Amino acid sequence: MKVFLGQRAWLVQRASALTLLLLVALGAALLLLGPALNHERWHALATSAHGAVIIVLFFAALSLHGWVGARDIVLDYVPSTAARLSVLSIVAAILFAVVIRVALTMAAHLSPVS
Amino acid sequence: MQSPFRDSPKSLNIFRIRFPIGAIASIGHRISGVLLLFGLPVLALVLDRSLTSEAAFESLREAVDTPWWGLLLLALIWAAAHHVLAGVRHLLMDIGIGSPLDQARTSAWAVILTAVIIAIAAAIRWLA
Amino acid sequence: MHISIYRYDPDSGENPRMQDYAIELAPGDRKLLDVLMRLKDVDDSLSFRRSCREGVCGSDGMNINGRNGLACMTSLSALKEPVVLHPLPGFPVIRDLVVDMTQFFAHYHAIKPYLIDDGTPPEREHLQTPEQRERLDGLYECILCACCSAFCPSYWWNPDKFIGPAGLLQAYRFIADSRDTGTVERLAFLDDVYRLYRCRTIMNCTEVCPKGLSPSHAIERIRLELVRASS
Ligand code: HEM
Ligand code: SF4
Ligand code: SF4
Ligand code: FES
Repeated sequence: MKVFLGQRAWLVQRASALTLLLLVALGAALLLLGPALNHERWHALATSAHGAVIIVLFFAALSLHGWVGARDIVLDYVPSTAARLSVLSIVAAILFAVVIRVALTMAAHLSPVS
Repeated sequence: MQSPFRDSPKSLNIFRIRFPIGAIASIGHRISGVLLLFGLPVLALVLDRSLTSEAAFESLREAVDTPWWGLLLLALIWAAAHHVLAGVRHLLMDIGIGSPLDQARTSAWAVILTAVIIAIAAAIRWLA
Repeated sequence: MHISIYRYDPDSGENPRMQDYAIELAPGDRKLLDVLMRLKDVDDSLSFRRSCREGVCGSDGMNINGRNGLACMTSLSALKEPVVLHPLPGFPVIRDLVVDMTQFFAHYHAIKPYLIDDGTPPEREHLQTPEQRERLDGLYECILCACCSAFCPSYWWNPDKFIGPAGLLQAYRFIADSRDTGTVERLAFLDDVYRLYRCRTIMNCTEVCPKGLSPSHAIERIRLELVRASS
């Protein structure tokens, strides 16, 4: 199975992990510094330019990271090729749906009409 | 080369293996990764609702106070803590920091205990 | 001393079972292997491998109270009773504590465990500086006992495709050798999800190596060499 690359996947795992770490730290700093969280403040934060970038990047990095992670787990515990392909397609579908869902959410709230 | 003994029995009962602490940290990393993966769709929906309206935002807050959602949140907090700490440990060991055995054992203990302490602290806050 | 040993006889058609033995320690008994040899005097159907009885030949690797080790290097005083002995986990069992190492050695051969030299042969010999020689310390001492690979979860799940810690330690032994010119092809061979990248840095290998070697460190070096080679 040529699609399962060696070093490439390993590097994607590390790069996405570092990105996630950075984004989580940034997001936590933004949330914790400042007044208590209510809907108004959360909405303003999440739809501000940097807030939106953090959220979108977070889910993008996460889907890459989760993909490689899930693939590694499947390679270890699921021996048959057919079962592997079905589990992996389910994971891919879920990750894809999550990214689309987040993109739609952000698009809806970023547009000036809402 | 095919072995003539490939159909022989194997002795592999993981409950009879004495796993070193690094292996425990590692399986925790895997379990927490899977938990977070399951939490991901929930997180996407929570994000959507939290932005929808004041009322939806407050209803999420109230949901956290119910036992089942609270427990789920607690599991995710442990998972996030363990996964991120174990992840940082791995990233450092990948570039040769803390990879000698004695240091790796210490950091494995540190990761496991810190994640549990974070989860307990979250549980106490939730109960209070 | 109470010992519980995994017994399997392929000719009997019966499933593997555990057999309990009780044996008085003799004054000269120091290591687990001493007791096993005396048990064999009592019950000559008991099978295990051994040769050097001093941690050199690598033939008596087994699972001792849940951890892999060499019977000849395991002190009796450190063992909790009953001592439970299993063959190396995940390896096909030939008989009792004797396992089939075919696959293990196939991985060893696959990493080309010999110097590759495409250059013109030197007049007399390849010289190494003391520093170059030092880089092989902690690598060349491996006795291929398989304690590490048989304690590696990644090797349990993919024994046919993952090279495993022992083979990867050997692979790095030749990558690190200043006289070897095959580094590029060696790294290209290892750059594979299965051969190298099944390792999750669990470090079970390093935990049990009876020679105190660190396959996980060798694997870490190979991965960094691969990063360097591709950038
Ligand atoms: C909520 C977010 C995250 C999810 C869903 C997630 C998921 C996963 C999964 C499923 C694995 C595979 C585990 C395995 O192979 O045993 C994994 C591995 C990994 N994760 Fe995460 N992860 C997340 C966040 C992070 C963060 C923030 C970091 C940064 C420190 C990180 C670092 C790592 C590393 C380094 C690995 C590879 C470990 C290995 O090779 O065994 N992860 N992750
Ligand atoms: S690295 Fe250690 S445990 Fe592994 S085969 Fe060599 S001597 Fe045995
Ligand atoms: S460090 Fe790698 S090779 Fe060693 S036991 Fe762990 S997974 Fe196996
Ligand atoms: S008998 Fe040779 S290593 Fe134990």
